[in-house]
Amino acid sequence: MKRNAVFTLLALAVLVLSIVPVGTAVFLLGFVYGDSPCVMCWEQRTGMVLVALTGLFILRYGPKPKYIGLSVLLGAWGLFMGLRHTGMHAARDVGQGFSLEILGAHTYTWALFIYWVCVATMGLLLMMVTHEDVPAEPRRLGLVDRLAFGVFLLVAAGNMVQAFASTGPPPYMGQSDPVRFSFLPKNWVWSLEEWTPSAISLRGRWAIEKPRVTGLPADPAAGPLANLTALPVRDQRPLGLELRGTVTDLAYEAATNRFLVTTQSGVYITDGSLGRIVRSTVVDPGYSIDLGPFAGAAFLERKYVMAVGENKSFVILHENDKANADKNYRFFLDSYDKFDELTRSRLGTVRARMMYTMSAAFDPASNSIVTVTVPNAKVKRLVISRFDRRDLTLSEEFMPSIAPESGLKLAGDKRSLDEYYVTGAAIVDGRLYALSAAYSTVLVIDLATHRVVSAWAIAGLDRPVGLAVKGGDFYIAGESGTLSVAARPDAASEAAGSAGSDAVTKPAAGKPAAAKNPVRTGARTSPGGRR
Amino acid sequence: MEFLNFVLIFTTAWLVFRKPEKERLAFRLLLVSAVLMVALFTMATRTGILPGVNY
Repeated sequence: MKRNAVFTLLALAVLVLSIVPVGTAVFLLGFVYGDSPCVMCWEQRTGMVLVALTGLFILRYGPKPKYIGLSVLLGAWGLFMGLRHTGMHAARDVGQGFSLEILGAHTYTWALFIYWVCVATMGLLLMMVTHEDVPAEPRRLGLVDRLAFGVFLLVAAGNMVQAFASTGPPPYMGQSDPVRFSFLPKNWVWSLEEWTPSAISLRGRWAIEKPRVTGLPADPAAGPLANLTALPVRDQRPLGLELRGTVTDLAYEAATNRFLVTTQSGVYITDGSLGRIVRSTVVDPGYSIDLGPFAGAAFLERKYVMAVGENKSFVILHENDKANADKNYRFFLDSYDKFDELTRSRLGTVRARMMYTMSAAFDPASNSIVTVTVPNAKVKRLVISRFDRRDLTLSEEFMPSIAPESGLKLAGDKRSLDEYYVTGAAIVDGRLYALSAAYSTVLVIDLATHRVVSAWAIAGLDRPVGLAVKGGDFYIAGESGTLSVAARPDAASEAAGSAGSDAVTKPAAGKPAAAKNPVRTGARTSPGGRR
Repeated sequence: MEFLNFVLIFTTAWLVFRKPEKERLAFRLLLVSAVLMVALFTMATRTGILPGVNY
């Protein structure tokens, strides 16, 4: 009696699986409401039917190892299919999904749950099975067993009908965006779209290469902007600091006359000449949010510094001479008593989501942190993201265009600002200075108008990774540990502009000649522009 | 192809139900159907085989 109960339970499980998800999907959702599965839904449904079919094998031939093994494999594959399908939509905004929603969850999500129930049920039934349950001959089927077979055949037949109408005979197969189900042949759409050759990839669009400055074209003359004025490097020398790792970014704080230097995990505050480290630590990047190698550095409000990883994760540190070294063991790998870790989290983006960053800057005027993307093989966009300092949440994103009055021109119809590879950023008076390692160019972007108002070429840089503005100079750190200094042409116009003048930028005495694309004050609201 | 797979599934279930002595044939059809299902899903997702989420 007890042994028969095991098979009865299995028959009931087959009935439930056949009727609830699969039978409902074909007869109610399909034939009544016109729902039509996409190609992935079809295979998820087929997998459920195969799990039920394996149950019928066990009802007839007993729990032989090959049937049990196949049912577990099918359950595991079904879980994978459910995860693969759900993953396409799981990160969207609330309520957004694909096709039908049942009890607040879209159908593919239910598939994931159903396969989980299948695997759990298999485990429970297996615990009840003994070797006595494997008969020498096929079992005689009882009433519940026959009912399970009958219902299964009915559901399979229904799916044959729907599959023929929706997907067609071989070689036609399911579609990624199926057409509403209809019994009328004139409404049937059969497709071969899935047979179209396409690249095979494991991670698909998420396979984005890590950013790097080596191998980028350095010649400004080959860049997307034509005829840029060159800024001569006034001084170039090794950055004589003892750092753990290579330099990844540079920032400057005028109020305290200090520089901030980052390495892969290191944070170093130096004096105003970049000659002496006055405070440093090495952040432990593990065992919590993956910070990635630091790529951006910024002074925030007084005594707070921020290091942004290339993956836009970040850490904010507070300078503290009385930091508790024992308490900070978990946060740092070195110098436990110089900083406290305030927060470690992630900057979330929309347009910039599929791109890494190699720069960060703080804008005190808007109390915002700004990052700039670097292009990759799949996504080539120059996106500037601004985050509110108060909640570290995205405030705006834009793709800058060229200000018409700037005089800047693209070198050809197919050239674009998206070709620039910004590895250093600094903000002064509402202007973002973005240094591109590709084509060794500094773009000046007005944060109010979202326009590139000027640009200069700086030849002779060695893999630049960091940019700081100190007074009238650009300080540029190279990956190899070099420091280059060049005069900032618009520094003089700032003084003129602050005096109410809209005169064209003029070179200061002893400074390089004015740019061919001078900045005019009051140009922020001009229309037009072209990417 | 989904239509073909459900024809195979229906045939397999029919064999197990009405011709239980054809166990080996039925199981082979079941395996073919499972492989076809895996192949069709993989075809549909070949541009991103793993779940499309952040890694």
